[in-house]
Amino acid sequence: MIHMRNISKIYDDNGTIALDHVNIDIEKGEFVFLVGPSGAGKSTFIKMLLREELPSSGELIVNGHDVVHMVRHDVPYLRRGLGVVFQDYRLLPDKTVYENVAFAMQVIEAPRRLIQRSVNSVLDVVGLREKYRCFPSQLSGGEQQRVAIARAIVNSPALVIADEPTGNLDPDTSWDIMDIFQRINKSGTTIIMATHDKTIVDRMKKRVIAIEDGHVVRDEAKGVYGYAV
Amino acid sequence: MRFDTIEYFVQEVFRSLKRNNWMTFASIGTVAVSLFVLGVFLILVLNVNRMASMLESQVQISVYLQEDIKQVDRVGIGQDIEKMQGIESVKYVSRDEAKKRLAERLGDQKYLLDALGDKNPLPESYEVTVKSPDMVETAAAAISKMDGVEEAKYGQDVVQHLFDITRLMRIFGLALMVLLAGATLFIISNTIRLTVFARRREIAIMKYVGATDWFIRWPFMLEGIVMGFIGGIIAAVALRSFYAAMAAKIYDTLAFFPLMPQYPFMNYITVALLLAGMVIGAIGSTISLKRFLEV
Repeated sequence: MIHMRNISKIYDDNGTIALDHVNIDIEKGEFVFLVGPSGAGKSTFIKMLLREELPSSGELIVNGHDVVHMVRHDVPYLRRGLGVVFQDYRLLPDKTVYENVAFAMQVIEAPRRLIQRSVNSVLDVVGLREKYRCFPSQLSGGEQQRVAIARAIVNSPALVIADEPTGNLDPDTSWDIMDIFQRINKSGTTIIMATHDKTIVDRMKKRVIAIEDGHVVRDEAKGVYGYAV
Repeated sequence: MRFDTIEYFVQEVFRSLKRNNWMTFASIGTVAVSLFVLGVFLILVLNVNRMASMLESQVQISVYLQEDIKQVDRVGIGQDIEKMQGIESVKYVSRDEAKKRLAERLGDQKYLLDALGDKNPLPESYEVTVKSPDMVETAAAAISKMDGVEEAKYGQDVVQHLFDITRLMRIFGLALMVLLAGATLFIISNTIRLTVFARRREIAIMKYVGATDWFIRWPFMLEGIVMGFIGGIIAAVALRSFYAAMAAKIYDTLAFFPLMPQYPFMNYITVALLLAGMVIGAIGSTISLKRFLEV
């Protein structure tokens, strides 16, 4: 699913080395936590998977796409195979729950019939079928994040990337969210999650990749968070 | 492109035109004013050009004879001209005839001639018609060298003047057009920038879920095009009534002025203005979008 060889990223403007010769392979169906202190390179890692940032050197294959040699025109097709969830949900406030999720299909010009079917089914997955007519402002934080997850998976991506998805949520709600991610993962979708949530990482016993100062310092199957909170 | 997509684009366009109503209003106004001025120049240049080329294509030479010319010589000159190459016809105009024609041409202002009393300062002349316009110059030159000929005139002076005027108008008009187009581009791209800014979250999400650049661009392009189009319509309507009023005025006072007939001329101008408005709108929105698409 992800094949990273000798990836380095040096930001031109200030010369910061965000990633330094990183080698990571992630297989289809894996559930991977990305941990490490703030500014260690997690965000750069995620941005690179989405091709928001290009590596300075190295080789990167994501979901069968050669990210490094990709022409600008093909970037949308890479992203159609990926779902993204952010800490701050990033929902559109003037659209309902249904419209927010459907939006992700509309903009890739999916047929209306398919949109209806898919949106209803992902709203079932995240348990928000009844609230489809609500606006984001009428929902709790956890519910908003569930809408964001529904949006991320509505196009059936092979890989879901989540950047601190529980960062703004209380522990109970966070577990609800993790439960949804686990179900998505069970259906075969690869999940990469950057997080600072020690409890979640320690309890889930999934693969943990720790990044510090642009280096992979730890890569363990069934790992733990490993940092003092 | 799917029908759903088009529907979505159209909705987006009208939503944002409404959301930025003041800026939309200002943009359309600027487009309208700019295009109107552009249209005025277009009309002027085209009309003067037409007049110049009409005069240029006149195949008639007026040959004025010396005042004290004898009748024999006069007839001789007429015969000499007739024998030249490329001459279609030669017609004698007596002094009386010339005065009568002048009186006709003056129309309402005929009284000006009364000041002359019985005197007639007009010379005798021949009206020489050549077979094709490109022979006028050589024929006129040859005739003016004949003995007893005061001068041989055709439209050259007037035509030269008119061309000078059109050249000036073209340069001035072009400079003005560039300025106005710049101002219009600026205000349209600013308006679109507001829309882009208002929808930046939406654009970011669209990029994340894999919308193509063109899918994101279209609603903004359309917004610019719609503003340009509406501005163009306003300019065209104003220009049409302006031209009609101007034409009426001109026909009242200068009946012989060869003004472009309103139809189909004004239809072409209208189409040109609409196209110009739409192109400016499209370019304006492309400018303001460029930065936001680089994600």
